[in-house]
Amino acid sequence: MPTLSAYFGPDRCAVDVSAPTKADAVAALVDLLAAAGKAPDRDALVRAVMEREALAPTGLGSDCAIPHAQTDAVTETSLAAIRLAEPLDFSAPDGTPARLVFLIAGPKDSAALHLRLLSRLARTLCDPAFRAAAIAAPDASSFAAAFLATDPPENVTA
Amino acid sequence: MKLLVLVLNDERHMEGVLEAYIEAGVPGATILDSEGMGRFLAYKVPLFADFKEFMKGNKPKNKTILAVVRDDGVLDRLRPLIDAVIGGLSVPGNGIMFTVPVDWFAGPERAVEEA
Repeated sequence: MPTLSAYFGPDRCAVDVSAPTKADAVAALVDLLAAAGKAPDRDALVRAVMEREALAPTGLGSDCAIPHAQTDAVTETSLAAIRLAEPLDFSAPDGTPARLVFLIAGPKDSAALHLRLLSRLARTLCDPAFRAAAIAAPDASSFAAAFLATDPPENVTA
Repeated sequence: MKLLVLVLNDERHMEGVLEAYIEAGVPGATILDSEGMGRFLAYKVPLFADFKEFMKGNKPKNKTILAVVRDDGVLDRLRPLIDAVIGGLSVPGNGIMFTVPVDWFAGPERAVEEA
């Protein structure tokens, strides 16, 4: 099971982000990766994520969405997370908008890792306790801590 | 007694596979319509929609064949026949075959092979 801490850090997290559109939310997520040095071609990554969004929705329901892309715009797999100030429609199956939005960006040749992270993240977001902690987090570091707390203890191997 | 399971990815080989079963001494089997996990995720779960290219080569459907065998000799005879029909079980994407022990059985004797 991939650990989130290998691909995510508190510097790639923000809360109460204002994003009136899906493109704004994706841009905010990509900017976090860019600021952390994980998105050398910021505009190309935004385009890749939006092209993926056009293929099929990434809203999961229960306040969550996982936009993602495999693209040559990045050289390593990484995650970013935001909590939106206002819920935003990501075309979730249950019709509910998302407040917790997580980006996975990975190179084209890492499909297996991308799949595993996507599955890992989807499972994590099914946990009502995590979602409650993420929604209630007073700041970005608390949000990141709640996210990383879903990793198994260090001495446990999966 | 064992339950023999064959997941056959290319349905075009069904006729040859069933002929191999009969030749090896398996008089009857149950055939189920089935689908691979990757194919299902890529085509039916929107979150994984971008993995269609990753799953290319996967068939839309596959077949799962269940048969009860009593004699391991049947398996020894069947394996090379199946390999010949489908092009080798060790080749990715062709299928998988395995057995699990059966510790209880009820049914007509013709449901197990006459080795």
